[in-house]
Amino acid sequence: MTDKKRAPEQLLRNELSPFQKAGNHLLLLLFFLTMIVPMVNVLAVSFSPRLASMQPGVILWPSEWTFNGYQTVWTRANLSRAFFNSSLVSLSGTFAQILLSSMAGYVLVQKNLPFRKALSLLILFTLMIPGDLTLISIYALNKQLGLLNSYQGLIINGLVSGFSILLMRNYFQSVPESLAESARIDKASELRVFFSIYLPLSLPGLASITFLEFVGKWNALMLPVTIISDPALYTLPMVLRQLAFATDSTSGVDYIAPNAQMAAIVISVIPLIILYTFAQRFLIGGLTLGATKG
Amino acid sequence: MQDSLRAPGRSLLRRRLKQYRSIYLMILPVLVYFLIFSFYPLILGLIQSLQKERLLGTPQFIGLKNYEALFRDRNFLQALWNSFYIGSTSLVINIMMGTILALSLNELRSRPAKAAVQTVTFLPYLFSWTVVGGVWIYVLSHNGLVNGMLDALGLERVSFFTVPAWGRPVMLFTNAWKQSGYFAVLLLASLVGIDPEVYEAAHIDGASRMQQIGRISLPMMLPTVKTLLLLGATGVLRNFDQVLIMSRPAIKDKVGSVLLFIYEQGILKMKIGLATSAAAVVLLATFLIALAVRKASRYEGSLYD
Repeated sequence: MTDKKRAPEQLLRNELSPFQKAGNHLLLLLFFLTMIVPMVNVLAVSFSPRLASMQPGVILWPSEWTFNGYQTVWTRANLSRAFFNSSLVSLSGTFAQILLSSMAGYVLVQKNLPFRKALSLLILFTLMIPGDLTLISIYALNKQLGLLNSYQGLIINGLVSGFSILLMRNYFQSVPESLAESARIDKASELRVFFSIYLPLSLPGLASITFLEFVGKWNALMLPVTIISDPALYTLPMVLRQLAFATDSTSGVDYIAPNAQMAAIVISVIPLIILYTFAQRFLIGGLTLGATKG
Repeated sequence: MQDSLRAPGRSLLRRRLKQYRSIYLMILPVLVYFLIFSFYPLILGLIQSLQKERLLGTPQFIGLKNYEALFRDRNFLQALWNSFYIGSTSLVINIMMGTILALSLNELRSRPAKAAVQTVTFLPYLFSWTVVGGVWIYVLSHNGLVNGMLDALGLERVSFFTVPAWGRPVMLFTNAWKQSGYFAVLLLASLVGIDPEVYEAAHIDGASRMQQIGRISLPMMLPTVKTLLLLGATGVLRNFDQVLIMSRPAIKDKVGSVLLFIYEQGILKMKIGLATSAAAVVLLATFLIALAVRKASRYEGSLYD
């Protein structure tokens, strides 16, 4: 009986008393409502007509459905341009990140490589240098390299992260070495071993870093506000920030009504939610690994 | 004798380096990147913190003068305290909320309900602070959801962003709103790994479900709680995005963070010396906080061993 695992249903167990159970359900309901009511509010306002969105009160369903807010913010607040900028920078940055950090992770699992320990330590050390604290020198550096106000600047800063490298290394460590050895005996090049053996066997790892890096780049605010001042290069978070400040001032010609502001918020999270539904099943493993081994 | 031993060793090393040449090439771009974008800015920042900035000519070393000016700056000290207060309180609140949520979810037997609550509470973690800030600035605004609810209850409206006393609670609450679900996911993962037979054994020994939660579930979460504390400790002083979005003149004295101070002094006002020395102080303070938390959590660990 001890060496045979039984299905959970067969195990003896007790539950909370009905009273405790009700309390627990109430608690979860409270959590759930606190999270979802503001989201529903934002959605409802984004589909409301301009005037209705400016009225005080609890709006959880639009009085009448309209895409006006979306149209306004897409054209007048230049959200289309920011959406393009953010997509370009996040996609190319994530692609480069995946390639570079998985290659580096592959190097770190070569058992007999001279100076492997030193390389690992070096990368571990970069995790301890907080990029946000070197902000001023990052600005100076970008100025020296002519990267201020450029797409290249947005992509190159944060091109590689030590975190992704170590995450990929952890996944590569579970790839059986005998596979690589037999390929090498067949005269396969290192790049071939990497691309045709290691990468396909580490898809959950790739999915996790793709997701985490894309989210990080899509949401980045500190770096863009530091190196970008040209409105044509604004990323989505920068435009959202402007809109958030506009909420306060109800006067002015260029006033963007709440329905358009909330539409901007909805537009900017759609890619994240789509990506989340795809990456979800890989994600928990990646996050847990990141939190315990990162 | 020694030379003859070393010579073949050296050529062996050279041969091995040559053999691994293509491997080294694969990590080369990463090393170059870190050298330029990680190590160089760190060193440059430390040097600049010891210099007097000049528009023209070579900068002049002035020792610790920037640091002296920094510690006489009331705004810096206030920002440092705000960051520490909000950062550490937030970390504790978020871990507590995450623990409660994880334990609560673990007792829920309906799978769809569990998935729904987990997804909805996790989602805000994916959103940027511009989104979360934008949502709550609107929800807490004069005509927003919260004031609408207060109105409906016959209560007086609250002006959340112009009353200084509301500044910190708003920051702490929105922080918990964004992070608790993420912490709950990680903590729940540590509960799923528990062998159900442990609960069965406790049941046979007559433990109630509440006792099982207190004596089995909670202690099993402890390693993850410690990891979250340790990782979170390095971020305690690094609140930026949230305050950049949500700080308003009336509450800035209560919530303005030290990174915001660095950004405003260094990037907007070009006071390089002040900003870089502030960054160095934060770096050192972060290191000390992380060290203290590490020590404290080790000690606590021995209590349970």
